[in-house]
Amino acid sequence: MAATLLSAATWYAWAGLGVAAVFLLWGAARCEPNARGAWAFRPLLVPACVLIWPLVLARWAVLESGWDEARRHRPPRRAQDLAALALALAIPAIIATALVVRQDGPREAPPVLLEAPEPA
Amino acid sequence: MSVRYIPVQWNRNKWLYDAALVAAIAAYVLAFLELGAAEADRTRPVDGAILRMRAFGTCAFLMLTVVLAIGPLARLDRRFLPLLYNRRHFGVLTALVAFTHAAYVVNWYFVFAPTPRLENLLGSNTAYGQLLGFPIEALGLFALFCLGVLAATSHDFWLSFLGAPLWKALHLAIYPAYAAVVAHIWLGYLQDQGNPAFALVAGLGALTVAGLHLAARGRPEPRLPGDWIDAGRWDAIPDGRAVIVRVGAEERAAIFRNGATLSAVSNACAHQNGPLGEGRVLDGCITCPWHGFQYRPEDGRSPAPFTERIPTYRLRIEGARVLLDARANPPGTPVAPTPLPEGAP
Repeated sequence: MAATLLSAATWYAWAGLGVAAVFLLWGAARCEPNARGAWAFRPLLVPACVLIWPLVLARWAVLESGWDEARRHRPPRRAQDLAALALALAIPAIIATALVVRQDGPREAPPVLLEAPEPA
Repeated sequence: MSVRYIPVQWNRNKWLYDAALVAAIAAYVLAFLELGAAEADRTRPVDGAILRMRAFGTCAFLMLTVVLAIGPLARLDRRFLPLLYNRRHFGVLTALVAFTHAAYVVNWYFVFAPTPRLENLLGSNTAYGQLLGFPIEALGLFALFCLGVLAATSHDFWLSFLGAPLWKALHLAIYPAYAAVVAHIWLGYLQDQGNPAFALVAGLGALTVAGLHLAARGRPEPRLPGDWIDAGRWDAIPDGRAVIVRVGAEERAAIFRNGATLSAVSNACAHQNGPLGEGRVLDGCITCPWHGFQYRPEDGRSPAPFTERIPTYRLRIEGARVLLDARANPPGTPVAPTPLPEGAP
């Protein structure tokens, strides 16, 4: 299972490198006017291309087909509220669970003098 | 703001911020190595590599705790806003410290593994059905992946290419990542610790983050029917400042007073969707409190040579009240500022 996962991750990363090469040499400047003629910053974009290349391709396609600029001003406020609430509830639950399952090690328990069994 | 991208946009303040951060990391790691060795259980001494991985691991946790606390703190008290200014560099440094921790783990515990190290790390413990002895390695890897994605997409290019809403949605991964880190620590390192010092720090830190997020949760404003919204009394808006009005499930407008006129724009900055309404008018421009992006009140456009634009709104004054048209204009649409009645204070 672990080997399969890592193999899939490796193929994913190689595909991401391919996307990075095409996007950074050609696509970035098409989508972003501020990237035209700017090359020094592009190597910094390679890790993100490798990690989120499906999103990069999807976004590139949206930008090529026309872009609803008004959506840029609708932050995911509700999702952020829910995520923050979920985190605030999860933290005490995780800590309480960890304290409940925690087993006292030999260092916390006082030593007990063992006595030899009574001779029969 | 816009204009050609460069690798890292440093300025004097960012240099100072980053220098203080790096100095604090170095001081923490050195102090941990010095004090941690002395505090370790003498009956079960730890190796130098283990001590170093703990130093970087605990440092990454504390940094992540601070990163997550900055947002709600800045919302609760404006004096924390300067910390928010360079939070992305803070996040990138946190990811680097976390990767250092992971590198020590992989190159110490799995260095002599017969199979590839990462494969060994993932396959060495598969007891996902139990809490005691849960495979915390998977929790750590998940958090590391999230931090990696956030750090890798921290450049302004990604903000602009993805658009602030999608970029922010992607960066919500910080929340599950932090929960995974808390579980990684409490089900792992702290299950085996006799010294309560770090348990106290880790517990207080995580609970503080939880409390701050609860305290800073926005309270929904009442939604009024119709296209025009009563935004309150115009004389309640201080000169150079704004009031924020909810105009939809996800949208808010900021009504600014600039001398004897009022103007309304989207509350979301085009850069990182920062809360423009919490900023002020500087040099005649609405200035975002997060990173200083500026817009002209009369058309929502950044002054030349910058090219950012935000939606504008129409306003009218009826008696002592200011009304806002909830239908946003396309970004950059000019709207003549609404004059205040004669003799306005």
